[in-house]
Amino acid sequence: MKLKPTLIAVVLSALAAHPASAEFQRQPRVSGIETYGYKWNPSDQDMNKALAYKANAKKGRATYKICKGCHQADGSGLADASYPQLAGQHASVIIKQMMDIRAGRRDNPRMYPFSGEWIVSAEEIADIAAYLNQLPPPAGNGKGDGANLALGKHLYDQDCASCHGKNGEGDAKKFYPMVAHQHFAYLKRETRESRDQGRRNTNPDMVKVLKNYSDADVAAVSDYLSRLTLPKK
Amino acid sequence: MAYPTQKLLVALALLGGGLSVASAAQAESLAATAVALCAGCHGADGNSVATAFPKLAGQQKKYLLRELMDFKSGKRASEIMAPVMATLSENDLTELAVYYARQKPAPGVVGDPALLALGKDLYLKGNSKTDVPSCESCHDETGNGDGKFPRVAGQHVDYTLDQFRLYAAGKRTNGARVMQAVAERMSEQEARAVAEYMASMP
Repeated sequence: MKLKPTLIAVVLSALAAHPASAEFQRQPRVSGIETYGYKWNPSDQDMNKALAYKANAKKGRATYKICKGCHQADGSGLADASYPQLAGQHASVIIKQMMDIRAGRRDNPRMYPFSGEWIVSAEEIADIAAYLNQLPPPAGNGKGDGANLALGKHLYDQDCASCHGKNGEGDAKKFYPMVAHQHFAYLKRETRESRDQGRRNTNPDMVKVLKNYSDADVAAVSDYLSRLTLPKK
Repeated sequence: MAYPTQKLLVALALLGGGLSVASAAQAESLAATAVALCAGCHGADGNSVATAFPKLAGQQKKYLLRELMDFKSGKRASEIMAPVMATLSENDLTELAVYYARQKPAPGVVGDPALLALGKDLYLKGNSKTDVPSCESCHDETGNGDGKFPRVAGQHVDYTLDQFRLYAAGKRTNGARVMQAVAERMSEQEARAVAEYMASMP
């Protein structure tokens, strides 16, 4: 019998009866800041597991392989806001955000397929977070146009520094992100989304502060943030 | 289709002896088994001729074993592979993976050189507009893969494209599911281009 193997393969793949496309890729959605009685940073089993685990940065380096196809080998992401800068970020923050995406508290359908337990376990996420935390934050992150830095500084000192720190260092224990060294375009988008409650895992205290911000205020403070630098570890 | 069962049983008996180091005779039997069972489609040395069937020569051992096990369990669906795997034990599959990983891969064949530049760009950088990660992060800059991530260098364009389609359609669901999202996000042209670039890698 001489059938073209290609033909056989095509017929067989067409016959294979399997679950229809990619339902696991659809991100779940749980209630967030838009909901009455919203509680920021709720207890999460996976998050607690990752936080309790004794993370290993060396193992994280190997597992980060899956992430670096987008977030880059040095963790610096891309300046156009497609991928955030992660180098030097607090491990707790990375773990929280990953678990928020995984659970559907933060909407990110593009990231979601790469966050699931079928790809990374809670322990592996902790390892990756430990690895990223010890990478040096890049100096070459994307900056704004520099036009309103005085306004940006004023707003930052008045509204943001009490949580995110004088130098934008954040607070690992409180899950407040390091904002220094982050890309301007990403900061601007996420700050705006937080204000407009599109970033549904936002801290309500952020919304209180941001609700009176104009787009120009957001841009000014984001520009200022993108220029903050941390002393080398 | 009849398999040379006797030869296989002899090989299995030898392999099943619990010896960790295979003797020369055993290795020879294993090669004979591989040739008898697999060569029709995958070539005696794992360099298949028919482009619908993957080249196995030089494939990552860990990846290959996982795929063989998944064919056996049905996690990776194939009406061709399933009955063949059903006749083999986990130990046999391990030995087969070792055998093919050791074979020398033959160079691939590029069908459309005009697509290589786009393929290379996507392979090395991905496409941030559509959130397609780079291929090199998992499959290595050389295309040689790494452990559970398969070698893709020199692979048949037809086979690679067929896998992209299966992933995108949710019909290949074994292993980590990174590839399903990646394949779904690539355009037809990107998929072709990256498959050509993979075929061009030595």
